[in-house]
Amino acid sequence: MELLKKNPFRDKFNSKKEAIDYFVRTFFMISAIISSSFIIIIVVFIAKEGIKPFITDNNGIGSVNLFSFITGKVWLEGTAFLSNLYGVGFIIINTLYISFFALLISMPIGVLTALFIAKIAPKKIAEFLRTVVELLAAIPSIVYGLFGSGIILVFVYNFAKIFGIQSKGGNSVLATVLVLALMILPTITALSEVAIRSVRSEIEHGSLALGATKTQTNFKIVLLSAKSGIFTAAILGVGRALGEATAVSLVAGNARSGPSFGFFETTSTLTSTMLQGLKETVGIDYDIRFSVGLVLMVVILLTNLMLNFAKKRVGNINVK
Amino acid sequence: MKKIWLIVVVAIILVGLTACNSTEETWDSSSNITVYTRDTSSGTRAGFMSGIGFNEAKEDDSLLVNGFVIKDNTGILTSMEIDEYGIGFISLASLNNTVKGLNYEGVEPTIANVINNTYGLKRPFNYVIRSLDDFENETEKGITLAFIAFLGTTDGLDIIMNKGAIPLDSTQTWDDIKNEYAVCNQDNSNTTIKIGGSDSIEKIALALTEAFAPKCGDFIPEHDHTGSSDGFKRTQGSEKDSDNYKHIGFASRPFKDSEQGSVDTQGQLAWDAIVVIVHLSNQLNNVSAEELKKIYNGEFLIWNDVLD
Amino acid sequence: MSNKRIRIDRFYQFMTYSAASIAVIILSMIIIFVISNGSGLLNFGLVVNDYHAKFYNGGIDNNITFSQTERPESLTSEIYYSEKWGIGLIEEENREGNTIISVEYIDIDSPLRNMRDKNNDNNSLSLSEGSIVSSIKFYDKNSALTIHGAEHMINELDTSDDFREIVYSSLGGGVRGSIITTLYIIGLTLLIALPIGIFTAIYINEFAKKNRVTSLIRSMIEVLTGVPSIIFGLMGLAVFVPLTVKYTQADSANLLSGSLTLAVILLPIIIRSTEESLKVVPDDFRTASLALGANHTQTTFKVVLPSALPGIMTATLLAIGRIIGESAALIFAIGTAIKDDISIFGKSTTLSVHIWSLMTDEPANIELASTIAIIILIIVLVLNLIVKLIAKRFTKNFG
Repeated sequence: MELLKKNPFRDKFNSKKEAIDYFVRTFFMISAIISSSFIIIIVVFIAKEGIKPFITDNNGIGSVNLFSFITGKVWLEGTAFLSNLYGVGFIIINTLYISFFALLISMPIGVLTALFIAKIAPKKIAEFLRTVVELLAAIPSIVYGLFGSGIILVFVYNFAKIFGIQSKGGNSVLATVLVLALMILPTITALSEVAIRSVRSEIEHGSLALGATKTQTNFKIVLLSAKSGIFTAAILGVGRALGEATAVSLVAGNARSGPSFGFFETTSTLTSTMLQGLKETVGIDYDIRFSVGLVLMVVILLTNLMLNFAKKRVGNINVK
Repeated sequence: MKKIWLIVVVAIILVGLTACNSTEETWDSSSNITVYTRDTSSGTRAGFMSGIGFNEAKEDDSLLVNGFVIKDNTGILTSMEIDEYGIGFISLASLNNTVKGLNYEGVEPTIANVINNTYGLKRPFNYVIRSLDDFENETEKGITLAFIAFLGTTDGLDIIMNKGAIPLDSTQTWDDIKNEYAVCNQDNSNTTIKIGGSDSIEKIALALTEAFAPKCGDFIPEHDHTGSSDGFKRTQGSEKDSDNYKHIGFASRPFKDSEQGSVDTQGQLAWDAIVVIVHLSNQLNNVSAEELKKIYNGEFLIWNDVLD
Repeated sequence: MSNKRIRIDRFYQFMTYSAASIAVIILSMIIIFVISNGSGLLNFGLVVNDYHAKFYNGGIDNNITFSQTERPESLTSEIYYSEKWGIGLIEEENREGNTIISVEYIDIDSPLRNMRDKNNDNNSLSLSEGSIVSSIKFYDKNSALTIHGAEHMINELDTSDDFREIVYSSLGGGVRGSIITTLYIIGLTLLIALPIGIFTAIYINEFAKKNRVTSLIRSMIEVLTGVPSIIFGLMGLAVFVPLTVKYTQADSANLLSGSLTLAVILLPIIIRSTEESLKVVPDDFRTASLALGANHTQTTFKVVLPSALPGIMTATLLAIGRIIGESAALIFAIGTAIKDDISIFGKSTTLSVHIWSLMTDEPANIELASTIAIIILIIVLVLNLIVKLIAKRFTKNFG
């Protein structure tokens, strides 16, 4: 008894169980802190590199004007390595424009496919489709790029011809949108499917018992209840679309001025601009690519905030 | 169940039909020219632009015709299979029969014509090694110097030629000079030599070290090619003492003024020819420097301008 | 049921079916594209061979006894044969799509069976069938090279009584090293990312109070999803490489630094999908467990977690997919050095970085890149089945 009384756990916690709870909780909290701290490391790292062109004189070239950088309609006026007239305004618009359409195509197809896999398809077919989707999530993006430049560019080139338009070898907004839509489709389908499968069967049964048809239930009850998860899928999908570089630079045409809204015009995204020449270039032309990365981070942050806001607004059914 | 498969089958057929439905039309010379180029950091672009007398555009996109397309070497090659009205330039080693390689100033793009100096569009392949006082030990320094010497022998040239690049001239064989490099007579199988820089030169560099390693005590070559600017950066530049340092770096372009290292550490190992390509159905067979400049700066907008 | 209701139902059903079939068609098109491009090079040798070829430099002594054997009748017409040297050469394509000259036949009397090793005087070399001859160098004329073709090489041999050096090698270009690296990286990364990710999800969903701090943590993790891989790679280079160099035996970028980088990339995916599946575990389960006297920890591990297992499994499979498909980050965090001897503390490439180096090459090797993509698909399929099998066992035990 003497020993037990001196045990500090005894003083602090009422029982051994509580002590375990406390430690597990602390342990989990540390995990959470580690997970969330990486974004700070990354932001500090990119900010350190990305601010350089704006605050130093870049070895005599002169510092880049932040305002004209953000609003610029031409990537670079003048000669590379000698000019400081960089601009990404049009690229920001291009990136958002493309990601929006990619999501617009991918979301309905992905979500409905997920619904099909989770609720409609016979078990064997569902299992098969699920495996196909998981396989596709593993294909390296450069292979999607290959598919894009081998199949989609030909398709877009011929498609434009039907309208009497001579496209730039298919390199266009449309091709980029299609490739990105393809790339985010597996992510969206897989995550939506998890969300749909997790909808409690009581809710479904309730709906059916009230006389709703199976289809009605699927669309009006199941999809609605899985909304939070579907939104998560959209957020991850947009993240992938915004951050994808390799495949995009193979089909976008990498326009150096813009913005481009026409579906058959060449375009460029923040990541493709960042990646283009990163390995080969030096000096201000290298540093400025980190500034593009910094802009991208801000764009992603704002998009996420907006999507999360939207998620809260529509998420009136609390599924937990 | 049956319904599902029916829909799937019908959809596959529909997609298949639209994909195969590319009608063969005749080549229309009144169409716009679509200009393809590499980006401003590319060595091929620098070689091309200075070759056609458009030096200003080496590193300046704003001088090019509106609506140009930026792609990498493979991208330009595959685009020219699709785009009937495109024009671009690639490395000669990449040329194949899926596109049409144009004669330049009346000279056919062949290795022989580059060697006899009649074909004018080319770029240099260069190497750079660490400063001689920067080597960690004498063995690494010895092997590196021996390797550089090997590059200039006929044995080295044979390998460069086998890989499709155009070697410089030499009469020395490795057998003639190997006695000057005593380091190669000892067992070097514990020494790793790190090689990096341009990825356009990766295959050539790999072939060179694979062939040279058994001649020099079986040292271990470690290839990590990440781009031309890393060639200098990681041997003598800002990353020379980082974890990514290299003993030997390659650059597929001339070294910039900011990349001039200490004496006797840089040199050229080969040439790479650049060839102008168009779609197979294009009627053009020959192009001059002046015409190319006019195409790239936007004076010539449709194919009739070039053909007349 | 009204006709209108039925019509609307039919319409919705049609939408679902067509969406699913569009998805299936597109996805199978990609798979067909990859297979049709790459199946030509797929063979067992590719998977087990080394990437780096081993080279030999053979020389001959002055007193040669030539073979002078007549051309054996078994040799096909594509084989070029030299009676004098007793050797038959054939042109083939290697895995990079380049033409190579390989030894199809060599006579027992051939002087090439008994050469001296120019790199080691105590050694002798014997050219054998299957070796790849890259060049033969003569004293008085230009070397015979691969690009000149097999016929030229045989002609040059026939018109010479001597040569300075023959360079030959084994067939390289295999992806064994990259496959092993990929498996190492998958294992290491999951080992790091799964616990941290799952614990974080549990903390956010089960333990943390619903306040600003929690939602801040959540949005900080969410922002991670949009960071392009290349930035993760640069961060790995700046943070994890020096860290691993300092505390392990590694002396430059290594598999461990690569896995740590990938783990960061995976965290948001694992956390989000684990959280999604935790959310839908009914609160009744929790309250029932707590009411029965279990503490929070017990409830979490024994009640909540098993119910969330399917979600965690999807997360794991997506994670494996992402690991195997990632290249941009690894190019910076490990580098692009293709190796045959793999160590956790050394450099080497995963399959997708291998693809990347094939594609940035001039000219790019699309065929081999697609072949490796097929290998990737096979590996993912196998791992997929294994994970599902384990999960099935697991749910049986706990369910």
